[in-house]
Order: sequence, then structure tokens, then C-alpha cells
Amino acid sequence: MTLFTWEYFAEVFPLILSKLDVTLTLTVIASFFSLVIGVIFALIGYYKIKGLNLILKVWSSFMRGTPAATQVFFFYYGLANFSSIILNMSPTVAVAVIMSLNMSAFVGESIRGALMSVDNGQREAAMSLGMSGFQMTTRVILPQAVRVALPPLFNDIINLFKMSSLAFLVGVRDVMGIAKIEGANSFKFFECYACVMLIYWVITMCLTYVQKHLEKRFNAIY
Amino acid sequence: MVEVKNLSKTFDGHTEVLKNIDLNVKKNDVVAILGPSGTGKSTLLRCLNYLCEPTTGTIRIGDVTVDAAHHTKQEVRNLRRKSAMVFQGYNLFKNKTAKENVMEALVTVQKKSKAEAEETAIRLLDKVGMLDRKDFYPSKMSGGQQQRVGIARALAVNPDVLLFDEPTSALDPELVGEVLNTIRQLAEEDSTMILVTHEIRFARHVANRIIFMDGGVIAADGSPEEIIDNPENPRLRQFLNFVSK
Ligand SMILES: Nc1ncnc2c1ncn2[C@@H]1O[C@H](COP(=O)(O)OP(=O)(O)O)[C@@H](O)[C@H]1O
Ligand SMILES: [Mg+2]
Repeated sequence: MTLFTWEYFAEVFPLILSKLDVTLTLTVIASFFSLVIGVIFALIGYYKIKGLNLILKVWSSFMRGTPAATQVFFFYYGLANFSSIILNMSPTVAVAVIMSLNMSAFVGESIRGALMSVDNGQREAAMSLGMSGFQMTTRVILPQAVRVALPPLFNDIINLFKMSSLAFLVGVRDVMGIAKIEGANSFKFFECYACVMLIYWVITMCLTYVQKHLEKRFNAIY
Repeated sequence: MVEVKNLSKTFDGHTEVLKNIDLNVKKNDVVAILGPSGTGKSTLLRCLNYLCEPTTGTIRIGDVTVDAAHHTKQEVRNLRRKSAMVFQGYNLFKNKTAKENVMEALVTVQKKSKAEAEETAIRLLDKVGMLDRKDFYPSKMSGGQQQRVGIARALAVNPDVLLFDEPTSALDPELVGEVLNTIRQLAEEDSTMILVTHEIRFARHVANRIIFMDGGVIAADGSPEEIIDNPENPRLRQFLNFVSK
């Protein structure tokens, strides 16, 4: 058995790459939901909404303090005992749910930090003009917070992209899942996982490039 | 125009910063408030705007009255619409250009059309000498320029009373003049203003009434001649001696 066969690598690469759509779909869906939930979390934290704020703190510490892989198992296998919805859920959906919930805690923190960074004078100016809380938030606070939040949010998205590889744990055939299956068939683990490493790396570099570009654009405005 | 009755403010349950203030300001009055720092001048101004909620007392501006004992959010917003604040630190909206800063309240609070708001903004920026900078963001303006835009923004809502909290304190000395000139011009146009300042000579010149605050109360109140040229209150004398040095 040779150490590395280019022929096999060339053969398996397109196959593994063809599952990139599963990985990206998971990433996009989880990005969307973690952003939506994260904004709500951030606003609850920022305005210190009574009751909810405490629940949120516990939830956030729980989500950030346990491994994503464990969360996937706990949700998909553990909670399935109690909920027929989860029992009948497709593994892809289950992973998307956990990715969204997990990352929303991080996104919430990123956005809350950005909101806190908007200086109080901006709020006072808006209030003194008689603007409503909603107008102040949407027209002054959030637009300024977005710029601050952009770098950490983009890191959160990159983390989601990498986190999606956990989907193989529950049998989803994403990039990682298919590589595991192919490797087990051919015993050419090195080639298979090398493909996976390469794909993740290239995509992450692309995302990082977009991140730098966006930051520059945003900082140029004002 | 402005009527304050029995206004007091206590922070954290024990620091009494304003003690039963009564104050009436007539239309077209230019009132300067002087006093050592920490005596509650900013707090008084912020209470008028409800940026800081008084512990007790009523505030009337124009036809809106708000009682600290029982007030609704809507009443507070109505009161805020009657006045406009010019801040020590300018507080221009950083994500908006000079013109957008002036237009903001016209569009969001007064529900004016964009075109109408823009027309007003252009007129007011011209008035404060900032028309050529209308599309600049605050980060691209000097402090004096930002403060003049801040004044235009306050004027835009056509307030019954303009509130200035040390509008020149954060400025480099060479930029103070341009802002004071703008304020002087407004005073000469019969705007109603309450102005906290440390610029004694300026206050003497533009105000028709001067209030000396000390320890959370109005310690002296009178014409510029009475307060600055012939001060009777010993604390006031001490203060004037101290600042003129
Ligand atoms: N948000 C606040 N919480 C607690 N104390 C405050 C707060 N704002 C002001 N103070 C206190 O109130 C006093 C008066 O402050 P201020 O009105 O700013 O005085 P001035 O404007 O005359 O210098 C100061 O002793 C200050 O420490
Ligand atoms: Mg002050």
C-alpha cells in the first residue's frame, strides 16, 4: 500500500466536494437563525428586560459551556425519548437546530457587546429629540452597532461553517460524513480526510477574505 | 414658557443633587446658569428634557406639563418635543451626515416629508455656516463644526426653548468663538434659551438673566448687572473671583 495515491485523491475529491452543498446549506440556515435569535437575545440583554434576562443568561452560559457535539447527541438521541417531533426529525434538521441554538448564544454576545459600545450620548441625543425607543434603536443604535459587530459575527459564521462537520455524528452525508464513509470503504483515510481539510481550509480563507473586504467597506463610510 | 415647580432630584436614594428648584423662564428670555461644578446645573437641564427623571416636581414647557409623581411615556415624549438640547460632547449621530443629523427628528418625530426636512436642514446649516460641510460625517468635522451642526439639529425641531449644556467646554480655545457667535446670533433673534456656561463674559453679554446655582439650589437670580457687576451673595463673589482668574 502506497502512502498517498494521487489517482484515488483525484477520484474521491469530486465526490466529497459534491457534498459541499449540504455543508453550506447547514451553514447558511444556521447563520440565518442564529442571527435572528441572537439579535433578540442581544436586545433582551441590552435593555435588561426583566425575567427574560435571567433566563437568557442561564441559557447562554449553558450553550456556551457545553460542547456542540454533546449538544447534538443530547438533542437528537436524548431528548428524542420525550418528543416525537425530535424522534421523527431528519438528522440534517436536528443538526441545523443545534447549530442555530448553539451559535445564537455567541451571536447574542457579539451583538450585545456591539450595542454596549455605542456611546450613551447617542441615545441621549435621540431621546432628547423625542424619538421613540424603536426609532432610536433602528436608526441610531443598530446601524452603529453593526459596524462593531461585523468582525465577531463573521467569526461566528466561520465557526458555524466548521461546526457543520458535526453533522456526520448523526449520519448526515455532508463533506465530512461522505469522507468518513469513503475512507471506511477504501481504507484510504489519508486521501479522504486530506480532501476534507483542503475544502474547509479554502472556503474559510474565502470567508476571511470577504470579512476583511466588508470591514474595510464599512469603516470607509464614516 | 418654562415653568419648573418644586423640582428635586436624588440619585441612588441619598445624593440630593437638586433641592426644590422653582424656576420660570419667559418667552425670549436668555437665561445663563453659572455655578461651581457638581452643583446640579447639568442635572437641572437634563431634567427639563427628562433625560434624567426628577424625583419630585412638575415641569411645564409651552402647553405640556409633566409631573414626576405620575407621568406617561407619551407625556415625556411630548415634553421633549418642546425643547432641544445642545450637548457638551456634541453627540451628533455618528452614522449620519451633517444634513442627515439635522433632518432626523423632522422625519422620524415630526413626520415631515424628506424634501421638506431637507429644505429645513439646508437652511439651518447655512445659518450656522456649515452648508459646505452638509455631506460630511461627524468624524470628518472639527469640534466647533460638530457643535454648530448640533445647534442646527436642535433648531430644526423648532423648540420652545433651547437648552445648552456647556456647549463650548469640550472645544479647543480657538474653536470656542465660532460656536459662541452662533449662539449670540440666536439670542439676538429672540430665541428662548437656557444656557449652562463657564464663559462669564459671554453670559454677561448675551443673557438678560443670570442664575447662580450652588449646592443644588438657585443661590442668586437676577439681571447680568446684579449678578456679575454687583454680586451680593458671598459664594457668588467667591465664584466670580475664582473664574475670572
Ligand atoms: N447618573 C448619576 N448618578 C449619580 N450621581 C450623579 C449622576 N449624575 C450626576 N450625579 C451627581 O450629581 C451632582 C451634580 O452633577 P451635575 O448636574 O453634572 O453638576 P454640574 O453640571 O453643575 O457640574 C454631582 O455630584 C454628580 O456626581
Ligand atoms: Mg455639567
